[in-house]
Amino acid sequence: MSFFADAFHLFVRSMKKLVRNPILVFFSLFQPIIFLLLFTQLFSGLGRFLGAGVLSYTAFATAGIVLQNAFSSAFQSGTAVVDDIKSGFLSKMLATPVNRSAILFGRLLSDVFRVVVQTVIILVLAYALGVYPATGAIGYLLVIFTVAFFGLAWSGISLALGLKTKSAETVFGIAGAVTFPLLFMSTALVTAGFMPSWMQSVSTFNPVSIAVNAIRNPITGCNVNQTICNVGFDWNTILQAFGVIGGIGIITLGATLYLFRKVVS
Amino acid sequence: MPGIIDVSQLVKTYGDGTKAVKGISFSVNEGEFFGFLGPNGAGKSTTIKILTTLLQKTSGSASVAGLSVDSDAPKIRKIIGVQNQDTVVDEDLTGRENLVLQGQLQQMHATAIKERVDELLKIVDLADAADKRAGFYSGGMKKRLDLATTLVHNPKILFLDEPTTGLDPQSRAAIWAYLKKLNEQGITIFITTQYLEEVDRLCRRLAIVDLGEIVAQGSPGELKQEIGADSISLGFENSSMNGGDTRKRAREILQNRFDRISNVVDSDIGLTVYAKNGSYMVPELVRAFDEAQIRLSTIGVSSPTLDDVFLKHTGKRIRVEEVSSANMRGMFGRRRR
Repeated sequence: MSFFADAFHLFVRSMKKLVRNPILVFFSLFQPIIFLLLFTQLFSGLGRFLGAGVLSYTAFATAGIVLQNAFSSAFQSGTAVVDDIKSGFLSKMLATPVNRSAILFGRLLSDVFRVVVQTVIILVLAYALGVYPATGAIGYLLVIFTVAFFGLAWSGISLALGLKTKSAETVFGIAGAVTFPLLFMSTALVTAGFMPSWMQSVSTFNPVSIAVNAIRNPITGCNVNQTICNVGFDWNTILQAFGVIGGIGIITLGATLYLFRKVVS
Repeated sequence: MPGIIDVSQLVKTYGDGTKAVKGISFSVNEGEFFGFLGPNGAGKSTTIKILTTLLQKTSGSASVAGLSVDSDAPKIRKIIGVQNQDTVVDEDLTGRENLVLQGQLQQMHATAIKERVDELLKIVDLADAADKRAGFYSGGMKKRLDLATTLVHNPKILFLDEPTTGLDPQSRAAIWAYLKKLNEQGITIFITTQYLEEVDRLCRRLAIVDLGEIVAQGSPGELKQEIGADSISLGFENSSMNGGDTRKRAREILQNRFDRISNVVDSDIGLTVYAKNGSYMVPELVRAFDEAQIRLSTIGVSSPTLDDVFLKHTGKRIRVEEVSSANMRGMFGRRRR
């Protein structure tokens, strides 16, 4: 049972560190909130051209913004691990009988918790801006669950990078280099119909598109291309996303576990 | 009788082929205050990491409290306290939270943790600052907190890697005083440090490593004796200094009556005599000169220091790192997450 107790204690530690550095939460929320308040206004005229044209652009973009936020906060996970390695805190933990896997699990738990809280904040703000959930409370729970799942899989990339390079700069650098291309070549901010055909092909295989489609459906209640609304849950899109995210998660968390064991032993 | 730490033919070769430890053997008895000295890169930290289960050895054997570092690592971790060369405390947590977390990682019961943490905060004089974040602590306070975190679970053995490097003299003295007290309570202490006066005062035995090998081990006294001669400085009273005459007579006396003397040289005030166990010779010297009516104004014996021992075995003087460099690292080196 020490596994869960150990993971919980380390989860609490991460949470305390986060709450005591509110500037970090602020910065990772700043961008999505600016997107939600300004970017969606900038492109508010776009709503008319989206599919059936019954959506506001804000309602459409909320899913993309939620995902972007999961993206950027998941990428901070690796830097926290680098911090613990560099400061010697990891060594200090390893000199105690603490369960090794619990160190990693506690970290992931706090990452997920953080993404969930930030997602709720964005959804509440979006609600204030008139974005009502088409599929009701259950739809929002599903959104939060999907984002958490995505965040978990994505944390794995950041953690693996951190463990491999032991450099926060590298993690930040790669995160920055990867985030926007993946985001812009996805359906996070526009439907596939708006893209040139080469980008549409990229977008189809872009995991960000697949995840964002699954998050958008419960919010808007429309199909993937937003041509037909009031379809309710589009289980094909949602389950496909779960499959893809699960696959990514197995690879990234597998790599993390492998690299972590190497660091630990 | 096996020691509480037993190391035999220990070898560590890193992946890049660096031989950090080349077959060292030593043993530490229960309750001992054991110094592990050597120049930078000698293999001290590597040895500590192996003994504290943080690093796998390449060959040889190492056991802590009769437990093998390979197969019994989890059991070893429950009975050792480990302090790193760098001060490691979580600066976002308060002093108390740091200690509580350490107790939790040691899988102690909540009530036991609370009691022990209160006790430790008093012992290291941090009770007043207990609920402030460690980030606001001074260097000395952080070091004391760090030391306290290694003690939460009442370890039998403390491994300390340069516990006072980078501290001001006052904080350093405080840490050494705590360590002395802990050792008196029966905790075995295994320490690396650059402060030889403290080693001399506190360590019952020590080993000197250089280039991955043990070049000397024994009690500070034994090691200093190996150096050979003490120096005895003799000053003659002015009235009896008639040119070179007194020196000449004194030399004759020394030559005729003392056989342990290795060398005699002139000094400003008289003569300097080099001899083994110089202090034991003092009464005889005084008697001999008195009989010869040579009046001594001063007589002083200085023994070799551990610094001389270190120099003899490693060819280097131990260098204490500047306080400033360690502080700079603390101030600018930490990146917040």
